[in-house]
Amino acid sequence: MKRSLSYIALTVFAGIMVYPFVWMAGTAFKTLPESMGGDLNPFPATWQWGNIATTLAEAPFGQYFFNSILVSTIVGLSVVITSLMAGYAFGRLRFRGQGLLFGLVLATMMVPFEITFIPNFVLITRFGWYNSYAALIVPWCANAFGVFLVRQAFLSLPNAYYDAAVMDGCGHLRFLRHIGASMVKPTLVTVFLFAFLGSYNALLWPLVVTSDPSLRVVQVGLASFLMDSGVRLNLLMCASSFVIVPSMVLFLFTQRYFEESALSSGLKE
Amino acid sequence: MGQLANIHGIGGWAFLRGTKGTPTSKARCDDFRPRESRTADPIEYGVRHQKLHVRFDTRRAPFVRQEWPAPCAVPPRRFCEWSRIILCPLVVVFMAVSGCNPAAPSSDGFEPINETQVVFWDRQTTETAKLLEKITAEFNASNDGMAVAIETTGNYGEIYRKVMASIQARRLPAMAVSYESMTAQYAASGAVVGLDALVADPERGISSADLEDFFPAVLGSNYYADYDGQLLSFPFSKSVLMLYANHRVLKEAGIDGPPKTWDEFLEQCRSIKAKTGKFAYAISVDCSTISGMIFSMGGELIVDGQFQYDQPAAIQAFTLLETLINEDLAYQIQARTYDDEVAFARDDVAFTTRTSAGSANMALAMGGKNDSWSLNPIPQSDPAHPATILFGPNITLFTTGAAQEQVAWDFVRHFTSTPVMTEWVLATGYLPIRKSVANDGRIQAYWAAWPSNRAPYDCLETARTEPNLLRWQEIRSSVERAESAVLAKLKTGKEAALELQQEAQGLLDRTK
Repeated sequence: MKRSLSYIALTVFAGIMVYPFVWMAGTAFKTLPESMGGDLNPFPATWQWGNIATTLAEAPFGQYFFNSILVSTIVGLSVVITSLMAGYAFGRLRFRGQGLLFGLVLATMMVPFEITFIPNFVLITRFGWYNSYAALIVPWCANAFGVFLVRQAFLSLPNAYYDAAVMDGCGHLRFLRHIGASMVKPTLVTVFLFAFLGSYNALLWPLVVTSDPSLRVVQVGLASFLMDSGVRLNLLMCASSFVIVPSMVLFLFTQRYFEESALSSGLKE
Repeated sequence: MGQLANIHGIGGWAFLRGTKGTPTSKARCDDFRPRESRTADPIEYGVRHQKLHVRFDTRRAPFVRQEWPAPCAVPPRRFCEWSRIILCPLVVVFMAVSGCNPAAPSSDGFEPINETQVVFWDRQTTETAKLLEKITAEFNASNDGMAVAIETTGNYGEIYRKVMASIQARRLPAMAVSYESMTAQYAASGAVVGLDALVADPERGISSADLEDFFPAVLGSNYYADYDGQLLSFPFSKSVLMLYANHRVLKEAGIDGPPKTWDEFLEQCRSIKAKTGKFAYAISVDCSTISGMIFSMGGELIVDGQFQYDQPAAIQAFTLLETLINEDLAYQIQARTYDDEVAFARDDVAFTTRTSAGSANMALAMGGKNDSWSLNPIPQSDPAHPATILFGPNITLFTTGAAQEQVAWDFVRHFTSTPVMTEWVLATGYLPIRKSVANDGRIQAYWAAWPSNRAPYDCLETARTEPNLLRWQEIRSSVERAESAVLAKLKTGKEAALELQQEAQGLLDRTK
């Protein structure tokens, strides 16, 4: 009986969570008046299959997808590497000014994007990277949050692992490569997920540093349906339906690690 | 040693069972351990501030000792704590200040962002973007010089940020769409081309007869008092603030037609709430809408360098919002969304105020049922002397070199020519900016097809623009904060208006 109630409750909550996605997918095939009619029924009266062609004709979504996935993957991997190394240094080593340096790294989290936006843009332009993949990738290859997460993960590792590895002849890099990285794998996956999604969902920066459609990303494509004076809700939902697919697939594949990281975040030696 | 003693072969490495018994009397593992977790046992874990690291390579027999470079001596804890307390905030403040207050570049030295094309940063999407591309292609085909390239650069806010960043980087497009307040800000950096000389050019200028063909309200706002009355931008796409009325909701409430005065508007809102239980009005927080309300209530925004937010018309506008919110007659939509259009289309509200340029999209949202809604002048305090606000961007040319500037100017002339502008107006729903366009037979037929098609044009003569002051962008934010405070019931309408007056006047005075 107790288990049945749990299942019923879980089903209800799952339904609440899934409904917006179903509504989005259903609205993608409605007419504009029907989509703006506010009907809670997610399914259209008549399926407008032509919306797919109309949506795809509005912007080169194939190219945008390629760019988004390429850029987000490289950014995600770069953030993992930089966070792993910096997090290890802050978590396991001791050196002069360590606390100050870590404080500075954390301080960058408190500076909003609006403030770094202009200096970053000026740098990118001076480097000659305007309208290039480098402009989309390089400024986001390291982030303080990733460093912080990995540092915390290393701090929570029992020292005995490291001590034993040292006794066995391990240096820092070898420990990091063969032992440390695999032991903080859930955290690294989480860092990758955050970095990937942050890059994948970015709109303003890609819009600002690129002008060539061959370099633009899916979020810019979504903005095509926001006009000066209104929104094409049905087409926006249609585009959104396939734009979220990579994020969902990635989350499904990394869900186990993500949960593991969240669960272990409060544990200490 | 309990921890080490229980560990076996992790990651393919064979670990020792312990350190005691091995030649570790000088080995110190403690330097890798967080300070708090160290023990004081010098034999097992070493002492604090250890200078020498020793490792034993078990693959080399017997126990080859390798010395690592000694890490730096750890500074005293007190020093670290104080340096953190003092330096971190200093660095944050420094970063914030350096980011917020970039040095204004000198007026010379701007380069084109594209050497081979005349780049135009625009915000059009969907059908209007395609039409603009077509117009541009026609221009390029007839022009011998560099080609104009349209680059969609997001909404006006995003274009503004990109241009401001580009001014700092000293690389600019040849032209961009911009509101007057944006142009005034760009001009402060010396990045804007003055158009007076181009207009007066005998060969490639605009004749005085042609110049008179532009509606005065449309052209007038492009002369900037802060810059000696220079013409710094040119009209592009214009619209006016209108009241969208949902006739299905009005009918449900037993109301025959939309209100003509603000008193009628308030009465109808109360009636709609009482009879249908629905909100009457969806409010989008917007400075221009407030400006339009003040104009329509007989007020002014600025007179002889003095803002007028403490005058009766402005107080009346904010007090009306307060009444609408306090009596649950209206609600505020989420910022930067079109939720009011959605609510309007699904008959959840009777009124919304938006630009007339939104009428084409609203017609689609209403399923082409023109009898169920209409586009009307905003209510007035005195219908005999109506006024509303003029919306819509202009084109600003940037100092990217004579060659690019000339092509950009030629494009502006082409785009604002009567045939091209007629095509633009018919396809987009923007207002004609020239009298000759308004007199075109196709435009007249379009207006005759449905009264709401013509309603915005009828407001054009009495439409007024917001001030094109240097700090108007900041003052716009102040107005929107004041409106939000009233809608959130944090301030009364009068309090908000009076505080806004002080804030806006302070900003203006600091500019002087």
